[in-house]
Amino acid sequence: MLFDVPWNVIALQLFFGLALGSIYVLLASGLSIIYGLLDVVNFAHGTFAMLGAYAVFVSVSLSDSFLIGILSAIIIIGLIGGLVEFVLLKPLYGKDPLLPLLLTFGLSVAIPDLIKIIFGLIGKPVNYPSSLSGATLLGSLILPNYRLFIILFTLVIMTSLWLFLKKSDLGMIIRASTRDSLMVQVLGVNVSRIWTTGFAIGIGLAALAGAISVPMMAATPDMGVDMTMVAFVVTVVGGLGSLGGAIVGGLFIGLVVAITSFIAGEYATVSMYFCMAVILLVRPRGLFGEIGRE
Amino acid sequence: MKKRLEKTMSRRTFLKGAAAGMALLGPGVPFITRRAFAQAPPIKYGTMHPLTGVYSVLGADQVRATEMAVEEWNAKGGLLGRKIAWVHRDDQLNGAVALRRAKEFLEEEKCDFIGGTLSGALSLAISEFACKNQIPFVAYCQSDMVLGADQCKYSAGFMVIPYMAALAVSKYAFENLGKKWYSLTADYRWGQSLLEGWIWQSEQMGANFLGNAYAPLGATDFSTYFAKIMAANPDFIVMNNLGADQTAAIKQASELGLTKKMKIVCTKTAMHTIKELGAAYDDNIFGGKTFFWKLRDKYPTSKKFMDNYMKRYGQPIEQDGESGYVATNVLFMAVEKAGTVADKAKIMTAMEGLKYELTKGPEYVRACDHQRVQSYLIVKGKGRRAKDWDLADIVAEVPGENIIMSCENNAKKLPFINVKLPK
Repeated sequence: MLFDVPWNVIALQLFFGLALGSIYVLLASGLSIIYGLLDVVNFAHGTFAMLGAYAVFVSVSLSDSFLIGILSAIIIIGLIGGLVEFVLLKPLYGKDPLLPLLLTFGLSVAIPDLIKIIFGLIGKPVNYPSSLSGATLLGSLILPNYRLFIILFTLVIMTSLWLFLKKSDLGMIIRASTRDSLMVQVLGVNVSRIWTTGFAIGIGLAALAGAISVPMMAATPDMGVDMTMVAFVVTVVGGLGSLGGAIVGGLFIGLVVAITSFIAGEYATVSMYFCMAVILLVRPRGLFGEIGRE
Repeated sequence: MKKRLEKTMSRRTFLKGAAAGMALLGPGVPFITRRAFAQAPPIKYGTMHPLTGVYSVLGADQVRATEMAVEEWNAKGGLLGRKIAWVHRDDQLNGAVALRRAKEFLEEEKCDFIGGTLSGALSLAISEFACKNQIPFVAYCQSDMVLGADQCKYSAGFMVIPYMAALAVSKYAFENLGKKWYSLTADYRWGQSLLEGWIWQSEQMGANFLGNAYAPLGATDFSTYFAKIMAANPDFIVMNNLGADQTAAIKQASELGLTKKMKIVCTKTAMHTIKELGAAYDDNIFGGKTFFWKLRDKYPTSKKFMDNYMKRYGQPIEQDGESGYVATNVLFMAVEKAGTVADKAKIMTAMEGLKYELTKGPEYVRACDHQRVQSYLIVKGKGRRAKDWDLADIVAEVPGENIIMSCENNAKKLPFINVKLPK
């Protein structure tokens, strides 16, 4: 089946898979950080991605700059995330672990309805930024610039995130709290503040995923549902609470979806869940799901 | 160590939670609306619409149109001297929920008639229910339910049969846009019905079908399908999809520069899709619709209807609402003509061949299969020139008679049955 297809078509397909996977990486790494640090199963993850998309819509209509759009998505929605953690989630720590899950599930229902009230039922368009439209010629390959941007941008973000967690003091404290927050607290660190920061970073990453995908579709109130699903699938495949797992899992699922949609398009979505099922059977903790993690 | 153990437990909780949440997120959350009328004993009409989920924008339109029709009749003194009470519910675009709603309408609300739905699949299920319980059902959506020899006496279709949309749009496309085509089809019954119509028409008109890609409902990245299409280089791409799927597909085709090289033809499009796409829905994009507000320049009835609707709701009506308005009106006209609410069979007989002029030109409900015979419009996008609701121009109106098969064909030998769908 694949042999009579020109190589550049296949290469393009893989390129699309990487771009799609990059968005998944952003989504899943946010979910992973939140789960790793707080043990909170964030069902509103896609909802915050949706808010990121709307943040881009609003700021692009006000400033006409996509860059400002992306920045405001990560900052404003990240701050909102921090606020949600501080006000709503914090009182639930130490109680039944299902309570935060129910809370975030409630948010995933209530926030889209709020967006419908504010912005209406019809989705909002965001055009491709003019500097990123068009395509780059690479031999006989035509690579759309915006997808290139998504891949490079994700690379930059993930590298900075890695450097931040690895080298900076705050990053090290976050990693330490992920392992043993009680010990960190004993050492005199205000862990509660670390939790809020970690949650805000995770939500910021989700908002970023929504922000960079909005030009490819439109900001719609219900777009978060699918994004939550994808984030969970990638996180389960990659391994819970593992940043490396989120990266490998995201790219892997992106490529699987791209290749499946080429060979048998109707199974593109199912293929993702199929991978998840296989991983759960063969390696239940996911690809990188070492419980102690980095 | 203790922490590690806790983490293991959490992972299980996470997975359980994930499973539960996915099950909950999937079908959406029930949302029930009721409207109480004080008058007694009123004639009762129950309708269902997708009020939650991605198609809620169209569901809301159906609700408004039905409300307007009911209120207009009530303002005129009701039906056969009785007030009309109307209840509407959320069917969540889900078959099991829709059937439950139909049951509620009949058994709890004691409705005399049912109407609504946005999905052909739901309409088939409710039609069967209506048949069994001998309660008239008017479908607002594109539906295959009027096809086949055992067509139900108690149901009637008020949008078009899916193949009619395909025939109208494909004929226009092959005559005006080229002969080489590739299609992107939503992988479920409706998408496949459209594809059958396209392939059949393509054979009739000697066009060249280059291939088809099926995409699952709710796919968000369509670029992965376009590599194949770019390699095939058709004159135009046919979109047999709807809503968010269509928005994403067109947006990404335009990103890849496809719309500069080829046209895009949507068998069914929607105002909200055009609005969501903004500049990307330019004059290289064509779409089919049963109604667009610009018909007001062509028919005085459309103008009157549009003006009333605009005055009430401040925005133009979408085709899904318009068909609801017509369905509700025709149903009440049939009741009036039959002079009875109790004798359901007599009402349906009164609907057969009923002529009316409500929102477009003169139309009628065909006697043999209870299908509204109406025209199909082809619109062309305006891209950056679009403003407010001036989103597209009507480039053609294909008369209903030209795209509907004869009664005999609809019942027994639909030509598309022999069409072999690509794998």
